[in-house]
Amino acid sequence: MININQVIKEMDLEGNPSDHRVVVAMSGGVDSSVTAALLVEAGFEVIGLTMQLYDYGKALQKKGACCAGSDINDARLVSSKLGIPHYVLNYESIFQDQVIDDFADSYLRGATPIPCVRCNQTVKFTDMFDRAKNLGASAMATGHYIRRKIKLGKPSLHTGIDLSKDQSYFLFATTKKQLEFVRFPLGSLTKGETRAVAKRHDLNVANKPDSQDICFVPEGKYADVVRKLRPGSIEAGNIIDVNGNVLGKHNGIIDFTIGQRKGIGVGGRKGINDNNSILYVIALDTEKNNVVVGPKEFLSCNKIKISECNWLIDLINEAEFRVLVKLRNSSQPVIGTIKVNFDNSIAYLSFDKPQFGVSTGQAAVFYDFKESSHILGGGWITEAPNKLADINLYNA
Amino acid sequence: MNKQIYLDYNATVPLLKEVKKSLIDCMDVGPLNASSIHYYGRKGKDIIDVARTNLGKLINTNKNNIIFTGSATEAINLLFSNFNTIVVSSIEHLAVLSSSKSDHIIPVTRDGIVDLNFLETYLKKLVKNNKKTLVSVMWVNNESGVIQPIEEVVEIAKKYECLVHCDAAQALGKIKINLEEIELDFLTLSGHKIGAPTGIGALVYNDKINLTPQILGGGQEKGMRAGTENILGIRGFGEAAKIMINTKENNCSQVEVLRDFFQQKIKDYRPETIIFGEKANRVANTLLIALPQIPGDLALIKLDLESFSVSSGSACSSGKISKSHVVSSMGYDKLASNSVRFSFPPNDAILNSESLITTKELDMLARCWSNL
Repeated sequence: MININQVIKEMDLEGNPSDHRVVVAMSGGVDSSVTAALLVEAGFEVIGLTMQLYDYGKALQKKGACCAGSDINDARLVSSKLGIPHYVLNYESIFQDQVIDDFADSYLRGATPIPCVRCNQTVKFTDMFDRAKNLGASAMATGHYIRRKIKLGKPSLHTGIDLSKDQSYFLFATTKKQLEFVRFPLGSLTKGETRAVAKRHDLNVANKPDSQDICFVPEGKYADVVRKLRPGSIEAGNIIDVNGNVLGKHNGIIDFTIGQRKGIGVGGRKGINDNNSILYVIALDTEKNNVVVGPKEFLSCNKIKISECNWLIDLINEAEFRVLVKLRNSSQPVIGTIKVNFDNSIAYLSFDKPQFGVSTGQAAVFYDFKESSHILGGGWITEAPNKLADINLYNA
Repeated sequence: MNKQIYLDYNATVPLLKEVKKSLIDCMDVGPLNASSIHYYGRKGKDIIDVARTNLGKLINTNKNNIIFTGSATEAINLLFSNFNTIVVSSIEHLAVLSSSKSDHIIPVTRDGIVDLNFLETYLKKLVKNNKKTLVSVMWVNNESGVIQPIEEVVEIAKKYECLVHCDAAQALGKIKINLEEIELDFLTLSGHKIGAPTGIGALVYNDKINLTPQILGGGQEKGMRAGTENILGIRGFGEAAKIMINTKENNCSQVEVLRDFFQQKIKDYRPETIIFGEKANRVANTLLIALPQIPGDLALIKLDLESFSVSSGSACSSGKISKSHVVSSMGYDKLASNSVRFSFPPNDAILNSESLITTKELDMLARCWSNL
């Protein structure tokens, strides 16, 4: 059972809830809907805002479909049920500039982007934040499974109680300044509890499935989207092995991700029946337009460079320390040693044990070595040299 | 909840009390399918006939040239489906711009008036190769309230043997429409802009021109719009038209005093406010303004939270606010996302039938604007 006083306490706003206007970023999903419901229950003056990010009809290539899709309508229905005002903000052009274009260009560079982080970083936590502040809100709440806790008088960021739903990987770029204003009322809830609240409020989204894919990519077919966004810039090329032998053809490197094993289009090496016969994507050579494949050992990566770092703790310059680091949302954290540069914007991370399939464009998110729930910060992986790179360097 | 102050009459006029009464009376008559040959069918036909007569009187045209449709948008779609070449102004309502699919676009001046010289030059070139060209220009712009020189448009269009359609949805009830005095071929109207319910519109047409219907079926509305007639909508439209006929020459002087009072307050409190179409001939009830630093959606949300219901130029049915193509066309591209429209009751009769908007409330609203 949810303790509403706990919700109020975690909102960390002085005085009575009724003294505060809180903007809830409502996507039309069950999480943000329940966020709004809990805050209404707690007595805050709640305003629902929904971002219109792209033309839904166009994205699905569906003639006659409304630009908005059903999610906006769900958010509106929930707001109406809760008796709160709800507005739609048109962020289509900002989203195009700052998220979709970046997404396409990343793939063309051979990287694997995470548009959801870019969206949180730019549209949601910059433009929507400003809007919430302009509307006189004391805070903006989202339905992320992540906790904001006060440590030594300052807000800090922690993984959600429900680790299977934890969204810290997607929110590492939240700045200290933003953390003062943002709240995550679901951080202390399990998904089951969230759905129970939705049912108790008889919200139309109570049984709505969780979204799985990138919102503007229908059915997870990201390469189709990139092809549509960047026609003419995607060319067929060769699939080669680590020695440069041509094994086959590909229709564009955007179809491949570092570490990918399935669907490469060339079989394993015949006659050899050990682990080395399984081929992985080892490198994406954008200059020569080659996809390099090889056995797993070539994916081995010991050290990465992380740029555009965001820190949620106070750091001394050029600090060096042990951290837990997550290289993918779905993977477990691994141990490494980090060294930051003079202005803390770039970090070099050495893994205790080599990692396989690290891709540039993904995020590296750091957690406290001793208190693994505490998010220290993170950044974008800009260099992840694997064994192949080491060999090439040696040959050169 | 605070008293809601409604200043979005260009979007829709609340159902007039007399209209509401007429609808209830109509509901009490019985089952009204005007196509039936029995007693109730005749009653239904009578109701439609009275409404058509009233609307005909209001715009001074033969009632037999009026077809009731589900909306002005539907009327426009019906008409446009009969033409391949349609010349439109850049500030037309989306009902016209979207359904015409036209590339023949006539720009407007910075005051929001259709560029007549451009129109003439354009038609001169265009009609050489095209037969059956339709020119479509609105009478009053829904966002800026600027009255278009429709007589001159007709004159130019006729010179090049074009047919002319006028979207008069925003003109009805605000300015005098006399079809005996102007050689329009087609006019489209909307009931809820004069206090009828939503869901009723009309196409007024020149019966010398054969049109092909879009909706086929039981042959209602002279075969031009099949489907059982929307008796309540038609009754309401007719009743609202009757009230407008009895209004002295669409008197708007009280409305104008209120609008101008508000406009002056806005200027006093926030002098950097841009007023669109201020120098043009505008209808008395409309004020379209913008602040360079304030996005329109922010202004709308803030005013709504203060219980003022106003509007931005164009909102999608999802509630998403887009750039105003009207403000853009007037040459204020940078302000196209910032415009906010305040629209008062269309005329004094409607103003006085509503709970009156006080100057004190308008002063409050102007202060809210200045604090954005």
